[in-house]
Amino acid sequence: MENIGINWQLTVAFLINFLVLFGLLTAILYKPVLKMLDERAAKIKESLEQAEKIKEQTSRSEEQIKAAVEAARKEGQVIITQASQIADKIKEEAKEGARKEADVIINKAKDEIKLERDKSIAELRSEFSNLTILAAEKIINESLDAQKHRKLINEVLDQSNTFKQN
Amino acid sequence: MSKLGCSSRLMVILGIVLLALLLTSFVMGPLGSKFFNISVPQELQVSKPHVVLPSEPMFHIGEFKVTNTLISSWVTIILLFLLFLFATRKMKMIPGRLQSFAEVVVDGIYNTIEGVSGPKYVRTFFPIVTTIFLYVVTNALLALVPLWGTWGPVEHIGEGAHSATVVVPFLRAANTDVNLTLSIALVSFVFIEYLGFSKIGPLKYVDSFFQFSALGKAFVDLFKGNGKSFVSGLAFGFINIYVGLLEILSHFIRIVSFTFRLFGNMTAGEILLGVMTFLVAFIAPVPFYGLETLVGFLQAMIFAGLTLVFGVMAVTSHHEEGAEHN
Repeated sequence: MENIGINWQLTVAFLINFLVLFGLLTAILYKPVLKMLDERAAKIKESLEQAEKIKEQTSRSEEQIKAAVEAARKEGQVIITQASQIADKIKEEAKEGARKEADVIINKAKDEIKLERDKSIAELRSEFSNLTILAAEKIINESLDAQKHRKLINEVLDQSNTFKQN
Repeated sequence: MSKLGCSSRLMVILGIVLLALLLTSFVMGPLGSKFFNISVPQELQVSKPHVVLPSEPMFHIGEFKVTNTLISSWVTIILLFLLFLFATRKMKMIPGRLQSFAEVVVDGIYNTIEGVSGPKYVRTFFPIVTTIFLYVVTNALLALVPLWGTWGPVEHIGEGAHSATVVVPFLRAANTDVNLTLSIALVSFVFIEYLGFSKIGPLKYVDSFFQFSALGKAFVDLFKGNGKSFVSGLAFGFINIYVGLLEILSHFIRIVSFTFRLFGNMTAGEILLGVMTFLVAFIAPVPFYGLETLVGFLQAMIFAGLTLVFGVMAVTSHHEEGAEHN
């Protein structure tokens, strides 16, 4: 054993050397690098998961947008249909109202015209009776009993179609 | 060749110069000078490799002799420490070159270990196996650096025809000291046995050698009155105990084989390089340097790998192993 140089003191020294190296490398190499590798692996995993999630979210929101657009389109259609219906109704109503109003106006005008005519006729009649009485007075020079004569004239007038009051 | 920054003409000239160097060193060397019968002045001769197995003491600290291999291993430790200190001083998520290097080393060894031991025990094995690998490989590669084994005081030994000039190097390949290889072998042994005791339990670990449980079963058979299976169980039980003793012996022999595998390979490598340099001083030793680089890596891998494999064997008890195979 002497020939190849086995020497317990030296063996212990080398043992200490190895343990020192072991301690140093653990402190400056294994711990920090493994920690970093673990961290990086965790981060990569997290990023991938996040990307997957974002992708999913995007597709989901895309679908949502599509659905929303579709719904809006349908709603718009409904609104348009409703509006055109309402417009038709309003038009109809307006027409109806206008007709009714026109009828009212026409009726009123007719009534007024009739009233006016009656009034004119009555005026004309009284005027005419007065004139007739006056003329008759003058002709016969005699004052007639106005009351009596008027009655007479009215009878005449009533007989004639022209001045008939209705 | 223009990529290397020299023209093909320069390459040819360089080749001729190297060839001339090779031939001259062959002719001037011990082989050529014998063959052509030329006498070469001693100053131009490369000294014959002088094999000294024990490491040479350089200085003393009290009683303790500090040898050149010990100094060499300090250099290894300082070098590894500085390299990885700078590499991991400021760890960043996006690594620089040195940090990348440290990460490649750690990650590569880590994955290799995981492939052998499985994910459960990687972190148990990783520090010790990696330290063995880095220590041995750095020792081996540093030994190929020019200063190693050549830089030191010259001594004349012997008388007359057997006289020789010998360099006692300040730095000698650390792996060529049997004390170093023994120390790592001891670490490896203690680590393996500690793992066996602590990870699968002391009783189970001892039982994994001797299989006492099989013997116990034989006695259970006896009480049940099953005489035939008792006899065969007893026989197998004693065979198991004998095998267990052999296995314990083999665990201790591992220390020896670890020690002398590395020591022998590295010492042989040093001697090979010395002999080649002695025979043909230039060019011819270059391939052998390449070989020794490979051997250094290989021996480091073998040392670390065997520690790993023995450790894995220790943490998976023989019963489990049997169960897996059946």
